[in-house]
Amino acid sequence: MKIKRTWIINGEKLEAEVPPMRRFLDVLREDLQLKGTKEGCGEGECGACTVIVNGETVLSCLLAAGQVPDGATVTTVEGLEKTLGGKVLQAAYIEKGAAQCGFCIPGMIVSSYALLSRNPTTDAAQIREAHAGNICRCTGYDKIVEAIQSAAEQWPVEAKG
Amino acid sequence: MTVQERGAYRVIGQGIPRLDAADKVSGKAEYADDFHVPDTWYGAVVRAPVACGKLKSLSRDPAFDWSQVAVVTPEDIPGNNIVDMMGRDMPFIAHDEIQYLGEPLALVAAPSLHVAKQAAAHFKVDVEERPALLTLQEMVAVYKEDPAKLHKLSGQTIRKGDAASALKDADIVLEREYTAGHQEQLYIEPQGMVAIPERDGTMFIHGSMQCPYYINPELCETLDIPPEKLRVKQSAVGGAFGGKEEFPTLIAGYCALLALKTKRPIKMIYDRNQDILYSTKRHPSWSHYRVGVMKDGTIRAIECDFVLDGGAYTTLSPVVMYRGILHAAMGYRCENVSIDGHVYRTNTFPNGAFRGFGAPQALWAWESLIDELAAACGMTPDAFRLKNCLHEGDVTPTGGLLRDSVGSPEVLEKTLERCQFAEKWQQCSRGKSGERLWYGIGLSFFAHGSGFTGDGEARMKSKVALDLETRADGTPIVNVRVSSTEMGQGTGTILPQVAADALGIDVTHVDYPMPDTFKVPDSGPTVASRTAMVVGSTIYSAGQKMKADLESFVSETLFDGQPTELVENQFRAEYDNRSIPFVEGAAAYLASHGPFRVYDQFKLPDYVKWDQENFVGDAYPAYAWGCNVAEVEVDTLTCEFRVTKVTAFFDIGRILNPVLAMGQVQGGLIQALGYAMMEKLAIKAGKYDADRMQTYVIPTSVDGPEMDLHFVEYPWDHCQPGAKGVGEAPMDGLAPAIANALEAASGVRLRDLPLTPERLFEELSRSQRLTA
Ligand code: FES
Ligand code: FES
Repeated sequence: MKIKRTWIINGEKLEAEVPPMRRFLDVLREDLQLKGTKEGCGEGECGACTVIVNGETVLSCLLAAGQVPDGATVTTVEGLEKTLGGKVLQAAYIEKGAAQCGFCIPGMIVSSYALLSRNPTTDAAQIREAHAGNICRCTGYDKIVEAIQSAAEQWPVEAKG
Repeated sequence: MTVQERGAYRVIGQGIPRLDAADKVSGKAEYADDFHVPDTWYGAVVRAPVACGKLKSLSRDPAFDWSQVAVVTPEDIPGNNIVDMMGRDMPFIAHDEIQYLGEPLALVAAPSLHVAKQAAAHFKVDVEERPALLTLQEMVAVYKEDPAKLHKLSGQTIRKGDAASALKDADIVLEREYTAGHQEQLYIEPQGMVAIPERDGTMFIHGSMQCPYYINPELCETLDIPPEKLRVKQSAVGGAFGGKEEFPTLIAGYCALLALKTKRPIKMIYDRNQDILYSTKRHPSWSHYRVGVMKDGTIRAIECDFVLDGGAYTTLSPVVMYRGILHAAMGYRCENVSIDGHVYRTNTFPNGAFRGFGAPQALWAWESLIDELAAACGMTPDAFRLKNCLHEGDVTPTGGLLRDSVGSPEVLEKTLERCQFAEKWQQCSRGKSGERLWYGIGLSFFAHGSGFTGDGEARMKSKVALDLETRADGTPIVNVRVSSTEMGQGTGTILPQVAADALGIDVTHVDYPMPDTFKVPDSGPTVASRTAMVVGSTIYSAGQKMKADLESFVSETLFDGQPTELVENQFRAEYDNRSIPFVEGAAAYLASHGPFRVYDQFKLPDYVKWDQENFVGDAYPAYAWGCNVAEVEVDTLTCEFRVTKVTAFFDIGRILNPVLAMGQVQGGLIQALGYAMMEKLAIKAGKYDADRMQTYVIPTSVDGPEMDLHFVEYPWDHCQPGAKGVGEAPMDGLAPAIANALEAASGVRLRDLPLTPERLFEELSRSQRLTA
């Protein structure tokens, strides 16, 4: 059985016909060829597969396609550069040296975008808390936190809640 | 020795963003699982059901539909069924003896991963099970009884002076044992590889790896193809930390054997569970010391047994053990040293490379013991270290002379001063009763040998190339051609910086294409903190050669033979002040001569001498130096503890890119924090008990302490620009610093890694410090 869904993915309207139990991660990576989103564990522990569905971060490896409602707005790492806030975040990650191997980064930066869109905070404790589900083995997190703080300072007015 | 000024360099020393940063923050970087090769089948491994035994038969379940499945067994291997690593004792596919749980018995491939996995589960395996030796603890128990009962994989000694008689003269002799457990690298990108059989008979291996030239030629023997028919190319690597040093040869071999059989591209991406169960880990270790000191704190003699749990096969264990014993008595003056290193077999997956490569295990024990020795002499840990630490002109345990670029004692002195160690040491709780929180501060100090151990660099003779080529848009570009891989640590940025500086141009004119053995010479593996020092300095001299050639071309063809220099992106004529931009001169060169390649090869300075048989001489051409201070807080109700602050200084030689170097230190210290107190693998029923990310817990963004981190720069001036490597030193010293701080807080010493509240509770109960 397949279900029909229309989703707004990174600002584009996409129609998909997928088995309802198919992992949303596979729908993104394989069916839609959005390979930016990564699989680090496949069981909800690493956060590399984080995407935003209707404003909330979700782990796409734990999500069935059928759980993503019709008409849902989805943002993946590929969509960030289409937004002002996403661009600010990318520039801050680059400047502060927040990415090393880069494998955690698609999920990490999507989490940052979700956080700052809701609350453009520069508070390190809040930032750390909001990223505790995104595991990075390379950076030790300090430069990631710095990058998010710097992006929060420049967070575009039009993107603020 | 004075610290060299950085002024001579323009691009080196700048914290420019990584060249691959834009691709990584936009999701464009292509990792092994991201490229699509049409017609690909998926591979899976049929694994042994026991940790030790004899394989009697392997058969397929006739009820399963095998029509869409390809199977490879040892009979299908065209060449030798041997993984060509040290020892040559590991088969690609087991055919007789089984030495670890999950050892491959056959390989399967199918058009979908689902079918491949199902097929792998439909084999019938008949084995005669034998008793397995599984843990370090079991191994050490047998060792103490009779080492001859163990299967020895490797051994090596270090002898200096006469430790046995010097021990007799010592005022105080301490005998201590320390252990450390497994650690999983846990790169976030799991192991992944694709093998593509090409029409001309070439096998093309593309995937996640640290060392393309390990796979080629290691696979040639198994596939029975000449080296020129094996092409290995690196994809973006999502972290490695040693875990993608030797292991990728195995998964590449599985893919290639299946690709030969099916004549199709084969892909294997491990899921996290397989990755943890069936890939290398840091070796568990047991260090046993007898050390004699005089009452004034002089170290008279050091005797040490350094024993590693090698896992099932030899692989890289001898070299890991070498680095271990070379660091097991390093850092301090002592005339009488006797170290015995051993690696024994256990029936687990072979243990292997992991950031630090034996040094973290050795230094965990040695730097803990230094605190115990200080206390035995009635000295503070800082005073004892300041009294004994090596200085320029001193000799190492193997008799190597520390000629120059010695960051000791400066890193030690600066760290102590920066964190106000002496004052804080006075405030430590030392297990005082009646307090809810205990405070402690602890210290570690260490050297980390830069580059390959022993004669490795002399034998390797790393080769590099620089290519002046034309970009798609018609402009000239200098491509760095090395087999050193970018795995997050910054190779792909620092090497272009070095090349740009040597040439006198901006880094925008230099690029680092992913290594491909059809295009790059063998610069050696990307390991041992050697890339910045060894490959970097060779790139620097290649850059100088290319610069000289371009200068003489421009001089002759454009500047009427005037002396010409390439500086700051301009070719400048000496007499009439004419100048043209680099791109113009380079384009003119390309138009008249075509692409231009410069080769170079690393050469150790003549004074570096090493006797590999006796382990005497300069074990490393230079050392990085580090000092770590940890401050801890212990909750006396729960025995939980946390590190509140880490202060550290490192001497990594010339800093090529301060942002990337600091990233290595920060990330390395957090990985070391995990090693010290979070990451735990036990073996239950022959199997790692923490075989998922849910159970193998590593530091998250909320687990790190406040960090106050600094560099001092003692460049290794025998090779410009004089980097000494930063990858591994941050992994070396945090565990003992934390254990030392815990003792200062609680009054009890933990001698087994990881340090856990349970162990602290046990020790406190034993010492009757828990009165509540
Ligand atoms: S892949 Fe989804 S949380 Fe790890
Ligand atoms: S940058 Fe490598 S895992 Fe985060």
